[in-house]
Amino acid sequence: MVTSEDIVKIAKLAKLRVEDEEIEQLVGDMSEIISFADTINNAVEDSEEEFDDIVGIANAFHEDTIVESFDRDEILKNRDGGENGMFVIKKHLR
Amino acid sequence: MSNIKYIQNLLETKQLSCVELTRKYLDAIEKENKQLNAYVKVTDQEALRTAEQVDEKISGGEKLRPLEGIPMSLKDNIVTKDIETTCCSRILKGYVPIYDATVWDVLKKQNAVLLGKTNMDEFAMGSSCETSCFGGALNPHDTKHVAGGSSGGAASSVSGNIAVYGLGSDTGGSVRQPASFCGLVGFKPTYGAVSRYGLVAYASSLDQVGPIASNVEDAAIIYDSIAIYDSKDATSQGARTSSADKLNNSIKGMRIGIAREYFEGINGDVQKSIERAIKVYEDLGAEIIYFDLPQIKYVLPVYYIIACAEASSNLGRYDGIRYGYRTESYADIDDMICRTRSEGFGEEVKKRIMLGTYVLSAGYYDAYYKKAQKLRGSIVKAFRDVFKSCDLMLAPTVPTTAFELNFTSGDPVETYLTDICTVSANIAGLPALSIPCGFDSKGLPVGMQLIGNSFEDCKVLNAAYQYEQQMKEKIYKKSERGVRI
Repeated sequence: MVTSEDIVKIAKLAKLRVEDEEIEQLVGDMSEIISFADTINNAVEDSEEEFDDIVGIANAFHEDTIVESFDRDEILKNRDGGENGMFVIKKHLR
Repeated sequence: MSNIKYIQNLLETKQLSCVELTRKYLDAIEKENKQLNAYVKVTDQEALRTAEQVDEKISGGEKLRPLEGIPMSLKDNIVTKDIETTCCSRILKGYVPIYDATVWDVLKKQNAVLLGKTNMDEFAMGSSCETSCFGGALNPHDTKHVAGGSSGGAASSVSGNIAVYGLGSDTGGSVRQPASFCGLVGFKPTYGAVSRYGLVAYASSLDQVGPIASNVEDAAIIYDSIAIYDSKDATSQGARTSSADKLNNSIKGMRIGIAREYFEGINGDVQKSIERAIKVYEDLGAEIIYFDLPQIKYVLPVYYIIACAEASSNLGRYDGIRYGYRTESYADIDDMICRTRSEGFGEEVKKRIMLGTYVLSAGYYDAYYKKAQKLRGSIVKAFRDVFKSCDLMLAPTVPTTAFELNFTSGDPVETYLTDICTVSANIAGLPALSIPCGFDSKGLPVGMQLIGNSFEDCKVLNAAYQYEQQMKEKIYKKSERGVRI
């Protein structure tokens, strides 16, 4: 059973804000979803190994060579060009 | 029957110019999209520029490449350089990518005519398109019903004849289910066949890009173009073999397996249509093998645990710092990030992030995530065993036909249960296709699913094509909407 303490803790980990009036609904919804997830407890797994073979390939490395990357100005485009090559946020007030 | 080949013939014989063709589609979008809401962005200038290039090529006597000049749509989680890409989320409104997804780059180089970006459930999390921040896409067969999700806009665009084909993405059925709801062919390739570079990640071990088209041959032509190795995706392998040249292979003697568990609780009309399709395969000379696959009981919780865990990690990048939505006032950096995410994400996305965070958190990791990963191994092994004695599996795509608008009563798990037939293919990384096989009593399409062994995508497409050739107009209902060519 998911508790309101769980919701507050998980929201903090997930970097989400949860208002007091939302907690009760979230407790209900998350409890239902977790009960649904709990059905896996009835299953007996074939092995102790965690699954890791969906692709059938491992260690898909490439040579450690220097190649062209994105221009800094391009990367800053979505924040109106930034300032002095940096993303800008409001000054830390604490 | 291929629309792509038919249209290219019209272009090459100059019965129609590419610009004229594109204008027809853009005019049709202008008319139909107000109701269907299939497109969230129409790229008319880009489309006409490409069409002009195609016409120049034809004037020069050059032969067209497989997808050249064909008007198409892209789901709005496939990044397009200089064209806004939102994943239908408030948190990405205004985000303009600085690079192209590999799948789009491949098509762009072939002068595919991009009509626009299509509607989807927010970050691909949903089965009705209704979690989109732009409102849902409607089903052209009956607009009181959803187009499906999460690639609802792509399916609506093709079914409404306002795109020849669309590219969607499929993490738990999001190409196949809307294709089923809208009477189309939707194909999810083997995991690793198509590059995920530039597909905004939901669940990285489950996501695949796939085509939604109005017939199997078109799906195969598109697949052959996009299923290539890409060094920018560490899970990429490309296709092992081409598919469009193998559609006419006989399927006599093909062993088609049917797991009884997929038929539990399905709608009566869906059951009847699937049974008729099984009979068609028997008439084509296939051997039908029934069996039990008890692991299917766990596919849904395994899927939701793994998908949400991966999503909680993938969506951690949305913090308002570098792009997209940022909250207006905040006390400090942590407050900025939390407020941005809470205001920017919709309710379903937040719920799945919370679930994912919960199952990965200390004290719960072993009981949920680790256990789900072990069970995933059991499920993969079970499917590999099936394919030792079967060439393909056949199942319904969805237990029902298209949902009515706003059908979920508020029960958070109710919609998840409808994914029972589709998620197995994502969990096991297998190729799977939905093709129409009938209609329900209201005239809504029913979809049948074919699932193949890993990298046997051509076998899936071949079997679908042979069924389609047998059934032809009996399984497709052309909409009166959009462009009629």
